[in-house]
Amino acid sequence: MTEQTAQVGELRYFLGNLFSVLFKGGRLYYAWLAGLSCLLVVGFISFIPQVRDGLAITNMREQVSWGFYISNFCFLVGVAAAAVLLVIPAYIYHFKAIKKIVAFGELLAITAVIMAITFVMVDTGRPDRFWHAFPILGSLNLPRSILGWDIVVLNGYLIINLIAVTYMATTTYFGKEPNKRLIMPLILLSIPWAIMLHSVTAFVFNGLAARPFWNASILAPRFLASAFCAGPSLMILVFQILRKVTKFEIRDSAIFKLAEIISYAMAINLFLLVAEVYKEYYSDTHHFAPMIYLFFGLHEHNNLVPWIWSAMVFNVIGFLLFLIPKTRKNFVTLNIGCVLLFVGIWIEKGMGLVIPGFIPDPLGEIYEYMPSQNEVLVAIGIYAFGAILYTMLARVLIAIDTGILRYRSAPPLVIDYDDGVVAQDIMSKGVLTVTPEATIDDIRSILVGNRISGVPVVDGENKIVGVVSETDMVFSLMHQDLELYEKFKSVMVPRERQRGGKLGKTAAEIMSSPAITARENTPLMELTEIITSRKISRIVIVDSQEHPVGVVSQIDIVKSQGLSPAPMQPEINYTI
Amino acid sequence: MINRKQFLALFFSLIITIFLRPTLFASTTSENSFIPPPVFSSENHPCSDCHEDMEPNTQRRQLEENHSDIVIQGHGEPERWCLDCHDATDRNKLILLNGEKVEFLASYKLCQQCHGAIFKAWEPGIHGKRVGRWDGPKKIYLCVS
Amino acid sequence: MKQLTRRSFLKASSAGLGGTVLGGCSEGFDWATYFQDRFEEMSPEEVQKTLKRLEKYYSNKYKTKITVKGTPSKENTVFGYALDLSRCVGCRRCVYACVDENNISRDVQIHYIRVLKMKDGDMNLEESDHYYNPDKVPEDDSYYMPVQCQQCDNPPCVKVCPVKATWKDPDGVVVVDYNRCIGCRDCMASCPYRARKFNWREPEIPEDKLNTETHYLGNRPRYRGVVEKCHFCLQRTREGRYPACVEICPAGARKFGNLLDPESEIRLVLENFRTFRLKEELNTQPKFFYFFSLG
Repeated sequence: MTEQTAQVGELRYFLGNLFSVLFKGGRLYYAWLAGLSCLLVVGFISFIPQVRDGLAITNMREQVSWGFYISNFCFLVGVAAAAVLLVIPAYIYHFKAIKKIVAFGELLAITAVIMAITFVMVDTGRPDRFWHAFPILGSLNLPRSILGWDIVVLNGYLIINLIAVTYMATTTYFGKEPNKRLIMPLILLSIPWAIMLHSVTAFVFNGLAARPFWNASILAPRFLASAFCAGPSLMILVFQILRKVTKFEIRDSAIFKLAEIISYAMAINLFLLVAEVYKEYYSDTHHFAPMIYLFFGLHEHNNLVPWIWSAMVFNVIGFLLFLIPKTRKNFVTLNIGCVLLFVGIWIEKGMGLVIPGFIPDPLGEIYEYMPSQNEVLVAIGIYAFGAILYTMLARVLIAIDTGILRYRSAPPLVIDYDDGVVAQDIMSKGVLTVTPEATIDDIRSILVGNRISGVPVVDGENKIVGVVSETDMVFSLMHQDLELYEKFKSVMVPRERQRGGKLGKTAAEIMSSPAITARENTPLMELTEIITSRKISRIVIVDSQEHPVGVVSQIDIVKSQGLSPAPMQPEINYTI
Repeated sequence: MINRKQFLALFFSLIITIFLRPTLFASTTSENSFIPPPVFSSENHPCSDCHEDMEPNTQRRQLEENHSDIVIQGHGEPERWCLDCHDATDRNKLILLNGEKVEFLASYKLCQQCHGAIFKAWEPGIHGKRVGRWDGPKKIYLCVS
Repeated sequence: MKQLTRRSFLKASSAGLGGTVLGGCSEGFDWATYFQDRFEEMSPEEVQKTLKRLEKYYSNKYKTKITVKGTPSKENTVFGYALDLSRCVGCRRCVYACVDENNISRDVQIHYIRVLKMKDGDMNLEESDHYYNPDKVPEDDSYYMPVQCQQCDNPPCVKVCPVKATWKDPDGVVVVDYNRCIGCRDCMASCPYRARKFNWREPEIPEDKLNTETHYLGNRPRYRGVVEKCHFCLQRTREGRYPACVEICPAGARKFGNLLDPESEIRLVLENFRTFRLKEELNTQPKFFYFFSLG
């Protein structure tokens, strides 16, 4: 009896806290929620005539029987891939900076899938008969109907991510260690499942011989490639907002890792698109008609032309911004790139994919489709609903992760930043630098006089431009014997370092450039990875203006481990 | 037990079933199919009503008093005229090239003389219109209907 | 037995949820109809009960006596259809006879048959005119090709349906259970002949035009938000009669019959004329044939 009362008390305590987490915030938070709620209400009001009069209030007709709703469904399924792009680096490559934020990706996936399902619900003529599509209870047409499979896969993905997030959140709430054997299979399952989700959604369109525009085997790979751009792009933006408006820490390295993956995915996406356009263009059959309609307009019908070309421009510019490391690592250009890719793919994989499939229709008629006002407002309402849902879920998760929302008798939360030791903790501070004009002799005296093995080279604004190491020095001294130089260069210098080892007399001439650097908050794991993979002996730590603030050398890393001595064993082990 | 009303109902439905059986369960086409008679036929508006007392004039000519509205447009107009198909003496019959007299209902035999291929298609129902049952009696339309 | 428990379970479990969602429906809501099984799977008793219930529902709704039959396929019958393109004059009588026969919605206008005006010497559907409207048909330099459900033997629409609401009956007619369709419209996307139609709004049937002789899988009035299609006038053809479009055609261009009967009109067409089927490369194997009886 008392136990029960205690439980009720705990529940009340939890709910009370949950309420304040969800509904107490700054002015900005209220404004955000209020704005979204307004949009949600507008969407809901616009949906009423559809419930009353049927789908006739949309601009969908017999010729174009799927429209804006299904386009958004298609796109949102792609956004749901976001989670898996975090899961892979975190759990397959043990990229720690990402591991902490996987849950936020999973929340985004959950939100995207729920929105996608909502879009399907508002698109169906009889949402009241949804139970027909339940396995066992209804009459789900398996294995024949791909749409049937899509229902299974979509809900499966939702359930997997829900369980994963809920499990992690509850264990943290109760201050328990998550059981890896329970949660890992689920997390690993989400990878093939995400690929399945996109393939199956693509197959829904892909398998219809009546629609040559979709009936291309490249569709599923295209779905995957574009999914791996749109979702993570949104996530990069969301993460920056999260770390700005909450105390939750998200490392740059995690964001840059994501950006890197996006650039690969986008390259593949664009290539696949070109491959498809080429095939249709060069073979020039009747099946080319939908693509002509999309890109150039058909018989004076050209509603989609400005849209698709904007998407193309956005995608290419976005891709370039992600491809060039300099713009990828600059938050202004990175964010522009994210927005461009997100919008570009929204057009290309939404309206740009669904609508041309119906134009011209199987009997050759052209009906130009543009969403009606109601459709647009309902869609906005659903997006607003998604934003509210994500905001609230993320708030709860952050509250749990930062210990605000916590079981009373749970052990106090150790905020485990996971990175443990970062560059700042182990670097040698007060770094010596030289100017590009410094001569070999100057450098030699600095190296020898300070017993260091390398020195960063900085320009007039104290920005790092390169590093001169002992090896660089050795090579610079070989300028009298070129034959020997070549021999040494090829034998001793690892391939990665061939950008260094130059002949010359000043720092500018002989330095290895650009310098390999890291930020102060880079975790030890990453530093080790850089040092071993790039085959260097030290890494210069820079601040946000690229001013050198310290150096981490191999010995610093070894020292940081604080090794305990290996136990001494007796020479002979007596056993009786 | 069965009451009087039910017995009567049963009895009558039995009678009706027996009576209608051939039409209800007919599966072959020809027996119960019928050709609707044309407006002017020996049954509903015999030509003999007027022509009986008239002396047949076999002279090919342009009709002026009656039937002047009939034109054989596009059907071998200069060569053909009324008595090529209508029997001069028995006005309720049509006449074939071989001199055989046929009923108005069998006008297709007249057409068949030239349009053999079409007749071959019409006979089993490939050419022309039919209304009724695909598996039973039907109304078969003539070339002239 | 399994179905019964399934239904009673559903009834119990979702009564609360469904009740609130659907409570607002204007025409009295009926649980038995809501949890009705697929017609294909019903036992004969269930079929009878369902038909009775629907008759009552429709008679109430349309204020007149409406019969709903459930006549199953005839034995040894597979329906086939042939259309003589050299006879069709493009008058669209078939289009409207079909609308009247099958209780099809007038407003949003749905037609099972679309007559395409084709240019002589051209088979390209993209060049066809759907909305020709001259003073007189036929016009010069063109021929007409009516297109309706081709009753494919390998129907793409059936396999895509996520809820088994559409299937091919033993007589080869692809039918829709209007009480099971969820209105996802995947079948419309999958049909290469644009044969499937959607009720974008509550179907409008003028009272005096209502055909009160209906079939469950055929012409009984449809609901809003479900898909329908040509079903070879099941309510007529399963009773042995010709479809409405065949009977109305003034040119006698439409032929219908049992493909399994060597004496049938359809078989004679196949034997005596060269026929083709639309989009044969898609392997849908239509049972709807086109032919030219004249050169």
